[in-house]
Amino acid sequence: MVAVSTWARATGAALALLLAALLLYASPSRAEPAASAALAQQRGKAVTQVVLGIFSYARWPSEPAPLRLCLIGPTEYADDLIKGTEQNSGKPLQTRRLLADDPQTAGACDAVYIGKLDRGQRERLFHALSGRPVLSISEADDPCTVGSLFCLRVSDEQVTFEVNLDSVARSGVRIHPSVLQLSRRRAVQP
Amino acid sequence: MIRSARRDRRPTLRAVLGRGHLGVALLAVGLAGLCVTLLGVLALRVYANQNLHLIARSINYTVEAAVVFDDSAAANESLALIAANEGVADAKVFNNEGELLAHWQRPEDGVLAPLERSLASSFLVEPVHMPILHQQQQVGHIEVTGQGRSVLRFLLSGLTGILLCMLLSAWVASHWSRRLFGDIIRPLRNLASVAHAARRERSFDRRVPETHIAELNELGNDFNALLDELENWQNHLRSENATLAHLASHDSLTGLPNRAFFEGRLSRTLRTAERHQEYLALLFIDCDHFKQINDSQGHAVGDEVLVTVAARVRAQLREHDLVARLGGDEFAVLLTPLQSCEDAQRIAEKIVASMKLPIALNDGTSISASLSVGIACYPDDGHDPASLLNAADAAMYQAKRARRGQWHVAHTESSAADFEKRS
Repeated sequence: MVAVSTWARATGAALALLLAALLLYASPSRAEPAASAALAQQRGKAVTQVVLGIFSYARWPSEPAPLRLCLIGPTEYADDLIKGTEQNSGKPLQTRRLLADDPQTAGACDAVYIGKLDRGQRERLFHALSGRPVLSISEADDPCTVGSLFCLRVSDEQVTFEVNLDSVARSGVRIHPSVLQLSRRRAVQP
Repeated sequence: MIRSARRDRRPTLRAVLGRGHLGVALLAVGLAGLCVTLLGVLALRVYANQNLHLIARSINYTVEAAVVFDDSAAANESLALIAANEGVADAKVFNNEGELLAHWQRPEDGVLAPLERSLASSFLVEPVHMPILHQQQQVGHIEVTGQGRSVLRFLLSGLTGILLCMLLSAWVASHWSRRLFGDIIRPLRNLASVAHAARRERSFDRRVPETHIAELNELGNDFNALLDELENWQNHLRSENATLAHLASHDSLTGLPNRAFFEGRLSRTLRTAERHQEYLALLFIDCDHFKQINDSQGHAVGDEVLVTVAARVRAQLREHDLVARLGGDEFAVLLTPLQSCEDAQRIAEKIVASMKLPIALNDGTSISASLSVGIACYPDDGHDPASLLNAADAAMYQAKRARRGQWHVAHTESSAADFEKRS
């Protein structure tokens, strides 16, 4: 297990949880200030950069053309990502949203961006994906111990990520070592 | 003033050669050193720039992922990891938007820091800009400024090495040139000393030794040949001189010394006798009737008679006695050393007696001749050559007057009695 849980990260995660809870349970009719909207947009851009960065360092057993990215479940920062049609390398990118228990998920996606799912949905999803070369990225709230290859940690300053090496090894998708190094270093960062 | 002083003291060959060699050696070594230094500096510049590019490239690879994920902390860490261990003074990483993602700067330390900086800025093509590529797309760029320390160290050590090499070359060159001087100057010195000896001491027997330099050897051989000729010429002159001197002091017919020689010897012997209180005697000899022989039998016979007389008189004398032909048929004998005047009389008697045997002539006939002898003794009959000669001459005429073929002692006070008795 690579995922390192420190007190600092735990606090970070708790804060994120709190924020998410606030956002969820706060009445949507209440208009957010403009600054908050801009912040959300910035986060979305950062998430896009990190996700496309991870794709650029990933190698599938057979090069998918186009790369099919599926967004599963309710996502928070994927608004920018879903507009994308091109990878960093200039190759085509196909993005679509799927429902949590969509049966074609395993066959139709090369990568999945996982939003907020409940425990059962997650288990079913990873069960369907197991043994397939699918690059999975969790958006939030994932301790990154089981399931996702990458788990994002979104904050105002930076979007960071962790890597679950066991999942990477099982998935069959090869990840460039420099990304692994980057993630490990990030893990000790607050 | 310096010029005139220099003209007075001419430089030696060694000095001239040495100065020339030194100049050539310094020029050659200096030029070589300059060329090597220039080439070395150029090569160093090329390599230093290549090295800086290499460093930039490795920074590039290391920070690539961090730039892709726009991770400033990771980029700073990677940058520091490489830059701190390499000759980098300043390194910056920019993302595609031109924002500074990571920056590393070497802390200024050491007294040489300003020198290093100025050297780096003048020596290296910098800063080095290099795009960061990820999947053929530019994701950012880096800017690297080199540090002059390694260049400076290399430059200094290289210059030291070149300097040492130059010193070594100069030393070896001077050593060789000194050997060369020896080879050139030794034969010349030999030549000069032989020439000097020949001029000053007239010693023509010395010869210039052989040397292994062809030109100098040839010069030495020619000089030796010249010395051979000079020596021959000198010997020839000496023998010629000796012959001439003999001719000048001797009579050519009889081979006896002439009057001048005899008088010279007489005065010298008188001085010696005076100093040592010795006796000596002077005999004046004249051939009786020589004029008649000459007139009747011819000059050839007269000459034969004179030669025979000379030989017979010579035969009666001791080793140190001297007989000379004064001229015509007159002979003189100097007897020295002598115990007493009586010894002179005894010798005179022998001389007169030696003529009793007729003289055999070349034509088979023979002729009789007699001698009249006058004796003068030193110190009894005179103290100087003139008085002695006069006394002997007078005594000889007395003898001739009395009876030819006789001897007579000079008429002096001391010998008067003796004279009476004899006559």
